Amino acid sequence: MKVDIVTRRDGEEAVVAFEYEKRELREKPMALDVLLQAQATSMPDLAFRYGCRARNCGVCTIDINGKPRIACRSRVREGDRLAPMATLPVLADLVVRRDGIARQMHGRLANGAQGNDLNVDAPDVYHDLTACIECYACLDGCPMHARNFAGGLPGSMPDGEAQPDPAQGYKWGNPFSLLKLQRIRVDPLTTEAGQNAALANAIELGLDACVDCAGCKCGVGIDLMGQVVGQLLEAASGKLE
Amino acid sequence: MSDLGQYLVTEQAHLAMSNKRTVSGKYFAVNGKNVRMAVKTEWRDYDVIVVGSGGAGSQAAHAAAEEGARVLVVSKDPIGCSDTKISEGIATVRESGAEGDTEDALSENLRVAGGDLPVEAITNAFAEDSKQAYDRYRMLGLRPSIDTKRDTPQALPLPMGGHNKRRSVGHKNSGVAFSHANWNAVVQSDQIEYLEDAWFLELVTEDVADAEGAPQKRIVGGLLYDAARGLLVAVRAPSVVIAAGGLSTLYFPKTDTMRGNTGDSYAVAARAGADLVDMEQVQFLPFCLASPPAYEGLLCGEPMTASFLGVLRDKAGKVILDGVYLRTRAECSAAIMRAVEAGRGSPNGGAYLDMTANKQKPLSGPYFMRFLQGSLPSAYRNARQALGKVAAKCEEPWEVRPSAHYMMGGIRVDENGRSVGGAGAGEVANGITGLYAAGQAMGGVFGANRLGSTSLTEGAVFGARAGKAAAKGAAETTTKIDDAAFAPLIKQTAKCFGQKGTIAAAALKRELQHDAWDYIGPVRTAERIEKIDAKIKEWSGKLDQVAIPAYGTWNQAFIEFAELRNMLETAKLVTVAARERDGSLGGHVRLDCGEISAFSQPYSTIVNQDESGVPQVFRVERPRTPIKRLIAYKAQENWRKVQIKMLRMLPSAMQDKQLEKRYQAIMGVGGPAPEIMPGGVDGAIAEATKA
Repeated sequence: MKVDIVTRRDGEEAVVAFEYEKRELREKPMALDVLLQAQATSMPDLAFRYGCRARNCGVCTIDINGKPRIACRSRVREGDRLAPMATLPVLADLVVRRDGIARQMHGRLANGAQGNDLNVDAPDVYHDLTACIECYACLDGCPMHARNFAGGLPGSMPDGEAQPDPAQGYKWGNPFSLLKLQRIRVDPLTTEAGQNAALANAIELGLDACVDCAGCKCGVGIDLMGQVVGQLLEAASGKLE
Repeated sequence: MSDLGQYLVTEQAHLAMSNKRTVSGKYFAVNGKNVRMAVKTEWRDYDVIVVGSGGAGSQAAHAAAEEGARVLVVSKDPIGCSDTKISEGIATVRESGAEGDTEDALSENLRVAGGDLPVEAITNAFAEDSKQAYDRYRMLGLRPSIDTKRDTPQALPLPMGGHNKRRSVGHKNSGVAFSHANWNAVVQSDQIEYLEDAWFLELVTEDVADAEGAPQKRIVGGLLYDAARGLLVAVRAPSVVIAAGGLSTLYFPKTDTMRGNTGDSYAVAARAGADLVDMEQVQFLPFCLASPPAYEGLLCGEPMTASFLGVLRDKAGKVILDGVYLRTRAECSAAIMRAVEAGRGSPNGGAYLDMTANKQKPLSGPYFMRFLQGSLPSAYRNARQALGKVAAKCEEPWEVRPSAHYMMGGIRVDENGRSVGGAGAGEVANGITGLYAAGQAMGGVFGANRLGSTSLTEGAVFGARAGKAAAKGAAETTTKIDDAAFAPLIKQTAKCFGQKGTIAAAALKRELQHDAWDYIGPVRTAERIEKIDAKIKEWSGKLDQVAIPAYGTWNQAFIEFAELRNMLETAKLVTVAARERDGSLGGHVRLDCGEISAFSQPYSTIVNQDESGVPQVFRVERPRTPIKRLIAYKAQENWRKVQIKMLRMLPSAMQDKQLEKRYQAIMGVGGPAPEIMPGGVDGAIAEATKA
């Protein structure tokens, strides 16, 4: 089975047509199987992230035929193209730099609770949002995230425009950062001030970009539009410019 | 001019939250000409470095920050993406389920399960802090269901086997619920800075004299490779907390844990001269998947879920182990591996777990299916996806093979995570000043066996303790750090970039993984231990022939090289300890020796190495649980085995009726199956009662 693997080393990009050798007659390999076999055979220095191989850790997301997929649980077919996630800057081969997202949340995660009774049940929606494994598939097509890259992708910045420095944390948010903020808002221990701060943070991160957006898609099936974006837009109505 | 005079400042780092940092380009002389090296070194200063950002690391950083320390978290995987995140998310919380759950009861529970190898002060600390450490998680957003009658977190309905009280709390979304809390702790704090995609390469130490003039080593910082920015980072810090997880990747793909478990914790500590304890005690789970490749290594069951009639068969269908559900993990693993060695293994190097007899019984069969599906739901899901519908209905046997799951040994520390050395439980004065460890990186909590739901609590309790102690230790340190201690390490590491060679580190890694399984895996012999010892020496000698390109940013070849080096180091530590323990105990199964009796004098193995990397090993005795109690445990275990023998001799219809009654006693007519924790003693109930 031939699979194209997009590589980039030291700034040079190349597409390698890798021949995957099935290890069992009826094997339907996952994208991660292909990458592991490539590394074990002809591409020993192939760079890619993976962790648990069971769709729990959220680190192995790559683009398969242009769409973000969790590599350990996405089957590949003849001719598929495996590439780094287009929504974040590439470090090497299939590895993208992720920390610009986490760093934008610095200082935005407090719930304001002080010495509250901890023995309070959280509503179902809190747990629904906690299911997020931080795979960043939701960045795909997000107009808010695209603002960090002049409305496009990190790989297609207009001439002369500098890449934003991930070490500073990206200025504009994304569905994941909104989920983190909405999770604070539905936490029963969050104070009213904490809820307001979370909403203000969502607005500051660019919630207005969601107003005319067709919607985002979660890598593990969380209802981002219904439980995150819609809720925040409703709470922010009248506050968005 | 000091050695550092050669480091020329070429540019300032443009970083968030910058403090006293410079970036230097390294020049060195080749044939009299100054040649610019590809990788630069950045200098930083902190009070505490925390290596790892899982449960233990995040909690350590959080606690150290609360003490006012300035903390750097170094994580090679994205923040929070650890074994904690992918765990079942069940934590031990004292008093969560039962009144009168005392600290003594929990502490003794841990020690008896661990074959009396655990250190009493450490199990006491675990018992004392389990509640408050858990509440720290809740302050960070972990939200369990609440038992409103008792006003406590809701404990699982039964004591997990091995626990003598109900005290295990489960969570929606499993370990991911914990990882959100850990992520928040690291990302939110003003006191904490973090570098992800950063490999902690080496502890930097200095020889000093203690108050009495005796020689001692102290930590002055660490050296790391920041792959995202393509830099080496030299960090001056008087305290380092190692919380970088375990070693299961040594056995990849025969493991169900995170890829990052390349033994980094143990390797860096050993190279700095620290003591390690119980390094032969690797926990293997016997019933994991052997195929298809995408599911290789993942858990599919426990001895307990094989239920009353489950047996292990070889490739010819011959029963190689019966009464599986009462067996220990080690017994099951050994039976599988023995069949493999005799050439009677399954195609992928395992054996067959045959549960069809359970399923075929007209009355009890449906109960069995509910028990199997409900007790360990994620494992059952793995089996269904990997083996298909027919196997999932237990209408055909499952191909199973053991997997590495958890390292019970580790860096030798006291109850505050401080490095210790010397006889008995060890003393801080004989350890490395400023070195701390927590979580899977530390030893002394579990010894030869681990109770269910204890690993998340281990990370929380000792993460917080080590973080606090590290911050205090840093605050008390007044001596200035001498940069000269860093110079040789920086030089040596920078030289690796651009190393000419013909060997791919990734290829050597795979050879090591293959042989580690065969020689220091779930079953071992003296001969095999010697074999891998020789191989480790051979491979270590090849490290300078590994090809590494010169570029700085995300240099995968260098990453593979650094991890291979740590895996070799760790394999050596396991080998030395495994050689010393000449009998089977807990996670250490010797095919060429007998079982170590619980009535004999318990001892732990201690391994350390000198500056040239030559390991030495010695034993320290541990106090034994009173004989009376051990006899009681033994009698209980024998009674269960007699019962199952009698059951198996009954005519089929009577047997079916008996089994139906038993299932009903466990889960009622329509009630839920008891939850089982993978890796917990409840998964192999004979394990806690091993005598």
